Amino acid sequence: MSGAARHAPVTAGARAASKLGRLFWLVPLLLLPVPLFLDQYQQYVANLVLVYVPVGVGFNVVVGNLGLLAFSNVAFFGIGAYTSGILMLKLGLPWWATVFPAGVMGGIAGSAASVPALRGVRLFYLAIMTLAFGELMRWVYIRWEPLTGGSFGMAVPTPSAFGWSLDAESHKFYAFLVLATAVIALTNRLLRSRFGRAFMAIRGNEEAAAAMGIPTDRYILLGFAWGGFAVGIAGSMYAALVGHLSPPSFDLSELILEFAIVMVGGLGSLLGSVVGAVVLTAAPEFFRDFPGFEELVFGVLIVAVILFLPRGLASLLARAHPALRDRYYRE
Amino acid sequence: MAPLLELSDVTVRFGGLTAVDQVSFRVEAGEICALIGPNGAGKSTLFNAIAGNAPIQSGRVLFRGDEIQQMTPHAISARGVRRTFQNGGLFGHLTVLENVLVGLHTKVDSGFFGVLAGARKSHRTEAGATRQARGLLALMELEHVADALATELSGGQQRMVEIVRALATDPPLLLLDEPAVGLAPPMRARLGDIIRRLAKERSVGIVLIEHAIELVMSISDRVVVLNYGRKVADAPPAEVRADRNVLEAYLGHG
Repeated sequence: MSGAARHAPVTAGARAASKLGRLFWLVPLLLLPVPLFLDQYQQYVANLVLVYVPVGVGFNVVVGNLGLLAFSNVAFFGIGAYTSGILMLKLGLPWWATVFPAGVMGGIAGSAASVPALRGVRLFYLAIMTLAFGELMRWVYIRWEPLTGGSFGMAVPTPSAFGWSLDAESHKFYAFLVLATAVIALTNRLLRSRFGRAFMAIRGNEEAAAAMGIPTDRYILLGFAWGGFAVGIAGSMYAALVGHLSPPSFDLSELILEFAIVMVGGLGSLLGSVVGAVVLTAAPEFFRDFPGFEELVFGVLIVAVILFLPRGLASLLARAHPALRDRYYRE
Repeated sequence: MAPLLELSDVTVRFGGLTAVDQVSFRVEAGEICALIGPNGAGKSTLFNAIAGNAPIQSGRVLFRGDEIQQMTPHAISARGVRRTFQNGGLFGHLTVLENVLVGLHTKVDSGFFGVLAGARKSHRTEAGATRQARGLLALMELEHVADALATELSGGQQRMVEIVRALATDPPLLLLDEPAVGLAPPMRARLGDIIRRLAKERSVGIVLIEHAIELVMSISDRVVVLNYGRKVADAPPAEVRADRNVLEAYLGHG
């Protein structure tokens, strides 16, 4: 049967991946000396990449694994960022102590954003309703001036972690590296368990998933909450990185960037989200010296991937080596 | 003791259309009950009603004596009523093994925080479930396709995998919606044999919707005939074959 040859890579990939899985922890270790080679601006870009890794990872759980077209991701990002900012500014908490609360607030926002999906809204209708959530939050940031600083925004105090001031970009890099690694590792565990399988079953056929005894509503809620949690943590990192939060940072163009990260990386691929974040955050920055070119690169990248790699850069990785094939990424 | 499955006066309406009209019947453990009738007779709707996928306006569905007609599909499934789907309910973008693992979902009880913490117990549960799933596939001689995507299988293999998946948790009741459709005759005979053995050796109660009439007649203990949503016959195959109402149902509208 010709199928035998075709499905061989899935097996080989699964085996190779489980062997290489232990090497995952080497990657952040290898990245430790990176700040030695970067100037101030490059370091900022590297940090921005690390912020967008959990953004892509969290978004992909909802869109790629659960398969729900929900566009509320920027709301989780903004809520995470403002949670950290407000806790630091108003309560004087050190940044590190606000990271988890930012994730939790993102998770709560994620649970709230799952309500239309739980009521059976799907496809474009779900996209529009969840998009409205993000826009509503922008209105909240503007109107809730005493807390958020309104349209002028809010200055975030210098971040610190466990008594260390993260005043240099390279210091932030290490803190972000720890957080991004943690989000990837935890999401990986979740996706490889019965929870991730249930997400994929729901994406495939909700009726059949329920017939297997899967309470689909609870898993949809869980997927949204986890996505919101990961993205909320990214928001907290963003607050620490940019030092100033204002509503325009969380507008529709931000949503387009975040969605592009998932699409360019590869729907349903954890590794793809990471690669998508790296490519789409870093690539335009290389062309910053040529005004207008930045947007062009961004646009061409997206068009090229959609045309030639409709399943994203993850498909290139999967072809390059079986070990780089994601568990639930399917071409 | 209460029968495995008992329907009493079950009615399902969609708007003005009465798809299932006061249907009653019983299925005992180890019994194969076929549900036949012309297209549109309400067979699939009745299946959906039992499995919780269609709203029941009146009547009761009792599983082992407990009313299940108000329960959600996942709760009914978790109680031990498993079904297959007419147009294939496999998850096409999951492998065969993963499909069976989804079938084992209710038996894989790893907790959320245990999974996040990478707890040894979660790994053991997962490894155990994977072994069990491979074992189930081996029983049906499907272990060689375990790592293929479900969509890569032939129609016959897909049907078999769907049955393996439905049986993964040892459910006492199995609802099979046209399992023989699109199968070549030898495969059909093998399927009939498997269904027969499930009922007789493992005491699984089976409700079977099937158009392949010779298969129905050869393996069923009892045949329930529906026409226009009503039950027109409920008897052993030999009697149903000779029943006037049944002939009318088929010849009149077939």
